[in-house]
Amino acid sequence: MANFRQFRPDDLNKFSKCNLDPFTETYELGFYLQYHAKWPSLFQVAEDQHGNIIGYIMGKLESSPDYYKFSEHYLPWHAHITAVTVAPEARRLGIGKMLTEQLEAAADANDAWFVDLFVRSTNHKAIQFYKSMGYSIFRTVKDYYGDHSSDPTKSSEDAYDMRKPMKRDVKKEHIREDGEKFEVDPSDVW
Amino acid sequence: MSYGRYGRPALKNSVDVQLQTAFTDSNWNTVIRLADKRFKTLKDPYYEAIRIAAESQLDGTSERCTALIAIDELVKSKAVPDYDTLELLEWAARDYLYDTEYAETLGPLRARWVKANPKSKFAVKCLQSCLEYWDLVSAQQIATTLDKAFANSGDRQYMFWSITLTYLLSVSPQCSEASKKVYSLLVVKQLERAADITENAEKVESKDRGLLQEEEISLYYRVMLSHGSKEDFISRMQSPKLGPLAQLKEGRKDLFYQALNAYESWGEWDRIYDLCRQALRLGLDGMTPTFSVCDYKVWKKFALAASKSKDQETALGEVQSILKEFIALKTNTAMYKKNIALALLDTAFRQPVVPGSSGNDSGVTPRVIQIGLYLDSYFDKLSAFDDVKDFVAELSFEEVKGLMEEVLPKMLEESEKSSQVILKSLICKLRYLLTTCTQTLSHNPSVVDGQEQDKPYQCRLCSTLTSLPCESCLRSVVTEAAQIYQQIVDDSELLAAIPRLDKDPRIDLALVMGNSILKLSGLHPRTSDVAPAPLRDVNPSLFLQAVLVLDTQLKVTPSDVALRLLLAQLYLLLGCASYAYQIWTPLEVKRTIQDSLSPLFFDRISSLSPGLFTGTRPLMEPLRSYYNNSLHSSCPLRIWDAFSSGSYSSILEMTEFDSKLRRSCTLMMSIVEERRATRAFGGKIECEIGDLALTENIDDTTTLLNKTDYGSFVNLESPHGPPIQEFLRIGPELSNERAHLSFLSEQYLDLIHHKPPKDHRPYKPSEAALKERAYTFETLSQLNNSLTSFIHRPTTPAALTSPEATYYTIISLLSAAVLTALSTTRADPYPSETMSVITSSIRIAFTGLRARFTSSSSSSSSSTNSTTGVDETFYSLTDMHTLSHVRETALAMRHSAAFVQAWNDRELARDRSGKSTLHKDGLAELKALDAMAAKTITEVKGHIQKLKEQLGGGGWLDKMLDWTFGGAEGTTEGEAGETAKVRKAVEDVVGGREGAEEWVGKVVESWGQGVKGWGLVRME
Repeated sequence: MANFRQFRPDDLNKFSKCNLDPFTETYELGFYLQYHAKWPSLFQVAEDQHGNIIGYIMGKLESSPDYYKFSEHYLPWHAHITAVTVAPEARRLGIGKMLTEQLEAAADANDAWFVDLFVRSTNHKAIQFYKSMGYSIFRTVKDYYGDHSSDPTKSSEDAYDMRKPMKRDVKKEHIREDGEKFEVDPSDVW
Repeated sequence: MSYGRYGRPALKNSVDVQLQTAFTDSNWNTVIRLADKRFKTLKDPYYEAIRIAAESQLDGTSERCTALIAIDELVKSKAVPDYDTLELLEWAARDYLYDTEYAETLGPLRARWVKANPKSKFAVKCLQSCLEYWDLVSAQQIATTLDKAFANSGDRQYMFWSITLTYLLSVSPQCSEASKKVYSLLVVKQLERAADITENAEKVESKDRGLLQEEEISLYYRVMLSHGSKEDFISRMQSPKLGPLAQLKEGRKDLFYQALNAYESWGEWDRIYDLCRQALRLGLDGMTPTFSVCDYKVWKKFALAASKSKDQETALGEVQSILKEFIALKTNTAMYKKNIALALLDTAFRQPVVPGSSGNDSGVTPRVIQIGLYLDSYFDKLSAFDDVKDFVAELSFEEVKGLMEEVLPKMLEESEKSSQVILKSLICKLRYLLTTCTQTLSHNPSVVDGQEQDKPYQCRLCSTLTSLPCESCLRSVVTEAAQIYQQIVDDSELLAAIPRLDKDPRIDLALVMGNSILKLSGLHPRTSDVAPAPLRDVNPSLFLQAVLVLDTQLKVTPSDVALRLLLAQLYLLLGCASYAYQIWTPLEVKRTIQDSLSPLFFDRISSLSPGLFTGTRPLMEPLRSYYNNSLHSSCPLRIWDAFSSGSYSSILEMTEFDSKLRRSCTLMMSIVEERRATRAFGGKIECEIGDLALTENIDDTTTLLNKTDYGSFVNLESPHGPPIQEFLRIGPELSNERAHLSFLSEQYLDLIHHKPPKDHRPYKPSEAALKERAYTFETLSQLNNSLTSFIHRPTTPAALTSPEATYYTIISLLSAAVLTALSTTRADPYPSETMSVITSSIRIAFTGLRARFTSSSSSSSSSTNSTTGVDETFYSLTDMHTLSHVRETALAMRHSAAFVQAWNDRELARDRSGKSTLHKDGLAELKALDAMAAKTITEVKGHIQKLKEQLGGGGWLDKMLDWTFGGAEGTTEGEAGETAKVRKAVEDVVGGREGAEEWVGKVVESWGQGVKGWGLVRME
């Protein structure tokens, strides 16, 4: 069972169910607080009946800097999913989907063109999950990750930049077909 | 100028290149010369500021103070300072300017400058600077000035900065009580006015001074809740524009929750009922997204409020009717469906219980049926047990029978093979839960047929005479769980199905077995300072069996977090700290989660295994760097981000969080544990504990907070009894009382260990001696008062282990003894009565502590205890906490005596007449304490040596296996058949005695490492 609400800093003392899971990264305090300070509506949590956090999503709203404006890689005002995690005991209940939907609602409320995220190109489960929610691959960022999740002989791994258009993008200008074929370098990604 | 707090400011463009270059290159002498020259030529005071800033970078003490002196003069002058001068001086004084000084100097100067230049682009920088030093008074003044200056500009930010800062000031210690009242009134009025503008306007524009954004309205709610009256708040919540329902329609769920929580705190159940009903209706009508209202919390409050209604039947009927409408919605996700299913369950438990309502005596009441329906859908989910636990604990005994003997067996019959094992493991967990519930017991008459009965209860499930928990039931749970475990292990089809399940049922079964055997061993919570050492009153054999079962399971499922946490705690209890650390490390408790999770391993660690501190990486380094990074400034981390983003509720929450983090018991624990370990190995403690930046604002009035996160423990206990973690600790958890006592004790040790630098030669030795004397007396007196006050708090005994209570008591008494000895010169009348009371109290307390330790050290370690089956070595190895406190206490006594003696020697050297030397009786009393402590230290050394020899001897494999399973025959004399069944169950799961051999090796090796570490500890 779960309740959904905005993150509060005290939740950090109730993160163990999510963050002791080896697949969830723990960041420095300033990182969490930055998101809470700047984009509180895009930092949502799911809590259980004891107040333990069993899932959370962290996102931000931004655009590329103005000096990037004439670059083909310029990103207009959009929301970005930085992290999403669900505790093992709360999986398969659609909590990740609900958290993502809430972030999308906040993105719409803030007039974002789209929501984007990065995912390892080998993380088929996650890619499928996002596709089921209306995300599509916009581009492939070559060697974005400095390690490989499944092949220790490789020193890097590609990322897919996935996007979902928001209400503002009526004409669907910010997504493309066959985005995985559109390759960019990490330096092109802001 | 653009730079961070410590960035060097750029000089004005008008400054010549030569000076600019010298300044950029840090050629301070050149800067001083050139700036002085320019000042004399141009008469521009800015050059004087450059000179001062440069001079402050030099090494000399007086030069370094020049910026501070210049700032002081600016404050006194009452003139409006030049902005660039302020920037320069603030940078120049950055390392010497404490926050309190900032609030008296640069803060007011910044406020003065903004008042004169309210529309300057640098005004916001001034506000930012004041916030960086957390000078709320000046920051609020600046924000108010900005608000006035931009009142009609449409820039709403300034208005809400001003309101937010007024609120922060109204709850800040920076503000006097009288001013707090004024600011509280002011902030309420400001927000009420803004709310009224919104209420009365057809549409609020951004240039209006009404409430518009969610963050602004959230600030309004929070301030009204904090500073307004209940009646005002309730009345304002009826607003069609700003009320919670109107806000919910806008998707502003947090405001809805704020109102709901406020009503709950006031017990306004009718309002809660109405609010929930209307909110859920909004969800049904599509006027707000389902995720805004469909939380379990809303359903739970709705059902609870309905059950408290005057017309309960109608109200609960309405709850059910709305629930049915939600069930019919096709858009529900799995999570909402589950929430609704739980809400149905909750509603069933809110219905009045009518005896015989089930229509038969089977106990299958609507409540039991609802639990059955819930489990039918969710029994295979990892959270199923947690979801129904509290409901099952609430059932009557008849209902329990109905559930366990009718509903669940029927479900079992109808399940497939893989589902059956999941269900069976859930039933085992429920059976364990029921052993912790009182409704399964009936009182047994204390005397039957003239015979006194030692068991106060009769178990209604198995009819055995028992105490709580029912041991017979626990034994059955163990054997049953072991059977299911074996069934899984022996069935390749079931093993193959495990990866597809929510959780490996073997983990649950091992946890049930482990918990049951721990209970059977007699392990109980240590919640007072009179409790014996943790394993002294448990059955060692059963305790070891429980650990073995869990350890065996960890090898099979090494990624299970709950198992790791449980085992790490159990190995600490068993005295295997190094092995516990191996189990703890893969959990990767790092960065932000350390504050809430580190106590699970590190609390009391220096008393258990100081050897862990001798590793290549300092054990406490990650914690130290977390606190240093997070609390390096007095301003809450990232607070300016929240100001600049207009996140007003985040500002309040981050400020509160920062205040709590500074008062964290974990922070104090990390400092004290490290200091104790450093002392143990003769290391140098760089800074006195009271001088650390992290403790600078902690005094006796500070409430230190324990925020340990137990969320990841699997807690099978009933909600009416203590949770599992209380059974697993060496002693009571972190607390305000213990944290303060440890802080004060460290301050005492700092005082008696203090040695002036060797090259310290005071200019006037007599004057310096007088000052030192006054300082020492004052400090000792303060420490004694504080220690005594904390020790005598009624809550303190429940916060300490017995050795800790003795240690802190003796430190408190030592501070009094030392103070008395130092303040009685040989010419003074000797306060024999006072001193005698103090020293005899120390002796009595120390003798008690020593007895606790020597009871194990003096016994023949190799002779086996006929009751428990283990020899004293086991108890010694599992109670290093007592040994550690004996050592710490004895050394404190010795060092106190040495401190007094050194004082006397110094006085004698200073004044050959001997008039100022100490009274001989005082010296003699402390010498006697020293002798007593020295003798004990020798015993401690001998004890460690003996343990070393014991562990170095052979035969440990057989010995441990015997301790765990009983003698070579596998049974001990008089062992009940039921206990043998438990042992057999354990052997089946772990692969018999052979299967336990590797584990024995790890345990014994870890004991050896622990004792080796103790061998390195200094005893002087």
